[in-house]
Amino acid sequence: MNMATSELQSRSVRPESAAVRLERVPSVPADATVRHVDQFETETLDAIYRAVTEDRPVSAAETDLEPGEVIVFTDYFRVERV
Amino acid sequence: MTQYVIIGDGISGSSAAETLREEDPDAKITVITDEGEPLYNRILIKEHAKGKLPEAPISIHDEDWYEDRDIDLSLNTHVTSVDTEGKVVHTHDSGEIPYDKLLVATGGTPTQLPVENSDADGIHHFWTFEDARGIREHADEADRGVIVGAGLLGIDFAAVCGAQGIDADYLMRGDRWWRYALSAEGAEIMHEGMRSVGVEPVFDSGVDHFEVDDDGRVTAAVDPNGDRYECDFAGVAIGLSFNTEFLRGAGIEQDNGIVVDEYMQTNVDDIYAAGDLTQFHDVLLGEQAQNGSWGSAKEQGRVAAINMAADAEEEGFQWVSSYSITHFDFPFLSFGHPTRGDEHAERKYSDTEWRRIAFKDGKIVGGVLIGDLSPQSKFKQLMREQRVVADQAEVLLEQSVDLDELAPTQEQ
Ligand SMILES: Cc1cc2nc3c(=O)[nH]c(=O)nc-3n(C[C@H](O)[C@H](O)[C@H](O)COP(=O)(O)OP(=O)(O)OC[C@H]3O[C@@H](n4cnc5c(N)ncnc54)[C@H](O)[C@@H]3O)c2cc1C
Repeated sequence: MNMATSELQSRSVRPESAAVRLERVPSVPADATVRHVDQFETETLDAIYRAVTEDRPVSAAETDLEPGEVIVFTDYFRVERV
Repeated sequence: MTQYVIIGDGISGSSAAETLREEDPDAKITVITDEGEPLYNRILIKEHAKGKLPEAPISIHDEDWYEDRDIDLSLNTHVTSVDTEGKVVHTHDSGEIPYDKLLVATGGTPTQLPVENSDADGIHHFWTFEDARGIREHADEADRGVIVGAGLLGIDFAAVCGAQGIDADYLMRGDRWWRYALSAEGAEIMHEGMRSVGVEPVFDSGVDHFEVDDDGRVTAAVDPNGDRYECDFAGVAIGLSFNTEFLRGAGIEQDNGIVVDEYMQTNVDDIYAAGDLTQFHDVLLGEQAQNGSWGSAKEQGRVAAINMAADAEEEGFQWVSSYSITHFDFPFLSFGHPTRGDEHAERKYSDTEWRRIAFKDGKIVGGVLIGDLSPQSKFKQLMREQRVVADQAEVLLEQSVDLDELAPTQEQ
């Protein structure tokens, strides 16, 4: 369950250089943290869109993406640290 | 010590409770919900109904979350009335709960079709986690489906049918899906998306009545043209009725929802409202408006709580709402108020790419992006800045939008 994290929790601070990419996953385990794309702010949505369409890493510092979590967009994508 | 009572533990109520605790550490906070479980992710329950997502990741708070924050949570508690003179909330069977400040965050309930047999077994409406569990279970064994309601929630039923292998007919009243926001060109992309998952859009149709078997189970939908569509599964999503019956006689102004200002205050002292059920003053639109989206409900709950705790008009709600459809290979994003405005511009770029921008008084008030979401943050920025750009629609319809190509803003 995802109860430890709050819906209001602010993004964690990460080094400027950290990057993440989105890895398509076929299914989601019961202990995964999952967020729908509409839970993200405009900038993170931009980053998700770029990461998926251009298949390239995005800077974690500019976004609200947590490594390990799964994003529901046009498919299910796991956030992976690069 | 101030006593805050919040009715509703959806995202708006829960976000208000969390903010109130941060803003007023000593206050007494009570959250009342008639559901049997604390806050869960309502925008992910469709993924559960599709058979793709297990239950656990959909939960957001467990009961400890409230206990840790010293927030009283009353599950399975239905509020029946509010006495605004005595400042007391009456509940079905948990007695009376006094308040100093009250937040109404009770959202809506799906509207039933006003036709014969619309409550038959096998006909589903979709709002709660319990609904999603029922839909998933039934969809797993159903073969033929009918979907009614050509809007953002109806299309979730189409996705459920697609994912669960149900061949379905999507009966629409007009000549296209979401006709208030999409032209024929834009809608056709969505129709192709539906067909790609095995759902056939049927136009100029709808439901005149449902047929049932001897056990009261749905067997067919008959449309106003007399055409019969066999089904053992039906999904109806024709709109929401807002949960405000318990406010009868409370003197709170309503207009298809609860009327609030940008501070989320109703016309009655110390009563606020947040989330789907508000008719709020939209400072960007300059008019009363309504949003039906997760992000907006969460922000309204936060803003209401800030103003409740401050006992002042501390922060106004200013938000560009967005709503995605994630069921197809291509993305879809509706932002702001795409069905409002006095003019619009649109263009099709490819078989899966289309864009529409709605303007009011020359300023962007909303839009729809299908296939290519790249300009979304730029359009939202222009909305927030309230820039007059309708006369430069060509720049905004370029496939790659460059805001530097817009003429500099004139001093007004
Ligand atoms: C299937 C589905 C898919 C959706 N998809 C998206 C999406 O992709 N993107 C998006 O942005 N939005 C989506 N939405 C909309 C989004 O979920 C809502 O806008 C948001 O959840 C509204 O939150 P709320 O707090 O205003 O109301 P709600 O979440 O409806 O919460 C209101 C709560 O109040 C309770 N309540 C009502 N009356 C009483 C009473 N008298 N006493 C006690 N409790 C009461 C209700 O039981 C409920 O728990 C979707 C909604 C559904 C149903």
